[in-house]
Amino acid sequence: MNIAVLLSAGRHPVSGAAVLPRLEAQAIRIAAGLGEAYGLHAGPDAAAIADALGQGLGRIAHIALPEGVDPVPALAARLAAAAPDLVLAGRRGQGGDESGFVPYALAAALDRPLVPDVLAVARGDAAGTLRLDQSLGRGALRRVVVRGPVIATVHPDAPAPLAYAFGQARRGSIDPCGLIDPCGSSDSLGTAGADAAAAPAVPVEERPYRRRPKLVKGAPAGGSAAERLKAATGESGAAATGRLLVDPDPEEAAREILAYLRRIGVVAPPAPRPNP
Amino acid sequence: MTSLMPPTTVFPGLVWAMAALALVQASRRAALWRVGAAAPVAWLHGLARLPRRYLVDVHAIVARDAYASRMHAVVAGGLLAASVLTALAILPPLAQSRAYWLVVALAFAVTAAGAILVGARRYPEKQKRLSAGRFQILPVLLVAYAVGGTLTALLLALGSDGFVVPLALAAAGGLGLAFEVRHGPMRHAAAGALHLVAHPRPGRFEGRPDTALQPLDLDAPRLGAEMPADFTWNRLLSYDACVSCGRCEIACPAFAAGQPLNPKRLIQDLVAGLNPEEPLYAGNPYPGGRGAEGERGPLARLIGPDARIHPDTLWSCTTCRACVEECPMMIEHVDAVVSLRRYQTLERGALPEKAVGPVTELRQAGDPGGRPLAARTDFAAGLDLPLMAERGQADVLLWLGEGAYDLRYGRTLRALVRLLRQANVDFAVLGAEERDTGDLARRLGDEATFQALARENIGTLSKYRFGRIVTADPHALHALRNEYPAFGGHYTVVHHTALLMELIRAGRLSPGRLPDLSVTYHDPCYLARYNGETEAPRAVLDAIGLTRIEMARSGKRAMCCGGGGGAPVSDVPGERRIPDLRMAQAAETGAGIVAVACPSCTAMLEGVTDRKADIRDVAELLLQAVEAGR
Repeated sequence: MNIAVLLSAGRHPVSGAAVLPRLEAQAIRIAAGLGEAYGLHAGPDAAAIADALGQGLGRIAHIALPEGVDPVPALAARLAAAAPDLVLAGRRGQGGDESGFVPYALAAALDRPLVPDVLAVARGDAAGTLRLDQSLGRGALRRVVVRGPVIATVHPDAPAPLAYAFGQARRGSIDPCGLIDPCGSSDSLGTAGADAAAAPAVPVEERPYRRRPKLVKGAPAGGSAAERLKAATGESGAAATGRLLVDPDPEEAAREILAYLRRIGVVAPPAPRPNP
Repeated sequence: MTSLMPPTTVFPGLVWAMAALALVQASRRAALWRVGAAAPVAWLHGLARLPRRYLVDVHAIVARDAYASRMHAVVAGGLLAASVLTALAILPPLAQSRAYWLVVALAFAVTAAGAILVGARRYPEKQKRLSAGRFQILPVLLVAYAVGGTLTALLLALGSDGFVVPLALAAAGGLGLAFEVRHGPMRHAAAGALHLVAHPRPGRFEGRPDTALQPLDLDAPRLGAEMPADFTWNRLLSYDACVSCGRCEIACPAFAAGQPLNPKRLIQDLVAGLNPEEPLYAGNPYPGGRGAEGERGPLARLIGPDARIHPDTLWSCTTCRACVEECPMMIEHVDAVVSLRRYQTLERGALPEKAVGPVTELRQAGDPGGRPLAARTDFAAGLDLPLMAERGQADVLLWLGEGAYDLRYGRTLRALVRLLRQANVDFAVLGAEERDTGDLARRLGDEATFQALARENIGTLSKYRFGRIVTADPHALHALRNEYPAFGGHYTVVHHTALLMELIRAGRLSPGRLPDLSVTYHDPCYLARYNGETEAPRAVLDAIGLTRIEMARSGKRAMCCGGGGGAPVSDVPGERRIPDLRMAQAAETGAGIVAVACPSCTAMLEGVTDRKADIRDVAELLLQAVEAGR
């Protein structure tokens, strides 16, 4: 299986040192358990991602970009050429020149599904499928089976990163793949589109991080403390508005369950009947 | 037979044959050491010092067991004297002298007495720590050689006949002993003597505490030891010097706690790993009873769940050096453990799961907890610590260490700072510029992180002028004093107890007396065993009039608290906990206070449930006395 792990130039949340973000280290562990994986980084400097070599990756492709250039077009072109079966990324940056937005932009550019918050990945039973365990928060998991190439982001609850092994880092290699000077033909990554360099950066607004209060869904504005507590613990809203059926016949119960599943989006709405 | 050749020729001939056989057996063994890596050895110096190293340094350790010391004096002295005297009888004038044979008989009789002393340790029942197996036949061979030799020499002295039986007995015993030089108990005599000459830490014999881990060349093709051939040849030789006396296993805290480590077994596994023909190990197993598995040979992998040594064995070691301290053959067990760890960590990234976090944080943030370096001085809120960055110079640089982040140890450091103020010591701290010394990373085999931290710290220290470094953390003290010089950092490093004693003696601190308290002092391994400092903390405790009671294991032979060598983060399960064992030993003294002088010891011993004694740092007790004296 061909697996690419997106690497970013992270910063340590406390010391500010240039480090590999923890989530990406966790992504490497998942990838290393699946098969041959390589790292992919687009940015001005490869020093920050060299750590990834000691944590389970043997090879990193580095697309050298000038400071401040949007990495998404270059990454998208490279990934389109290399066509990995799985692209793993962190789900959120931890400071520094990195962004949680990149995997989504890439998924859109490559027209591939994105599975967020993955804890574990395994090969599916059918050939060409992947089985991903997705975290829904608070310990709840959902198992997703997908066919074909997919982009997945890693959740912090995934297995802890592998230890950094200095000897392995020494043996690993960072292949510089400039946009004008692409990787060799033996490299499965292929060439990045030359037009990617010309792509203008997506206009984004940057704001300093600030802690925000936790939003409680459906909290009644100005309600009593008891009502707010109910809202916070989920005792109002969907759970409270459910219908209670006593001893319904199976046909009706099944319809009701299906309708509920459609309402919360687990089951797709019924396909429109073809006109005769 | 005697009609063909006179016994005065056969008997010395036997000794010469023994010597030849021993030489052959020893050289067959030596061929194995040659698979090891090269090592610089000062041969002439080592050879010249051999008698002194044997008679002084080795004797000092052997004599801790008075019986073993007497036994060796009688049996080894007798054996050597009798054999050399007999060998000299190839000279005709001596062979004809009846008086000479009487002297030989006497020497053999002494050997026989020694052989009985050897046997008494193994028959009818062997002492628990000794190994069985081939060692059990040693007294039998010795008795046969000695008794056969005595009788033969007596018969020659008396001029009687009937040599066949005694000579055959002596030959059986003597050739058996010589044969045992390759695999059996007699190997320790040959390998041990050579090991004393080619010892990898010659400083141990010159009064220096040669305990710093040796730097690893990070450009070497392979980092650390994966298989026996990765060790240097004189290390392989040192493992062959092991006589399986089991003194190390009695001293080992991990063994006592039922963790899967037995230093004797570890060394024997390294010996057996080198040679597939090695006889079966017949001593106490690793606690937990794991059998030996896996391939053997100079190129066989040593560590792994399916190899000879389980990774848990490796990570159980607290690097307390108690085994090294007790080893009469001067074997360096901790060096072996660290070499193996270095390969696991640097080449395979196979650290224990729980140790990965702290080591990663050390590498990325300069602190094993990933805490902000500027928060290290938080413990001193309101104390107004002077910063080196503002002062530029000070008499004393106070190295705070990791203990500063700990709420409990923060109390100790506050006491220390107040004492320094009281004594008008001109001191300053590095504050946010102080990184961890890298002690944890180095003990866990992560030499790369240690060297990076060492270089950064040395760079920081080179910016300032100070007389000496004072620290309350013996682990930091050992790294700064003994391990940083290899990277260009040469400092005078003083433990806080030594400084406090100095201040008391100089009259700059005038403590009152606390005569109502009884105290026992727990020696930190990295202060006592690694640096030989046992007196200063005791002197401080005595100066404040405490009733001091010593534990059975104290000073350089104290037992570890379980806090060193990354053992707390490796967290290998055992049947008991090391700090619980240590506190039980402290409780035997009946003292109400256990005095400590190390953040790790404080944390480990405070973590013991149901303890009857208080844990107080020497600095806290001194501050109490100073305040009482006001």
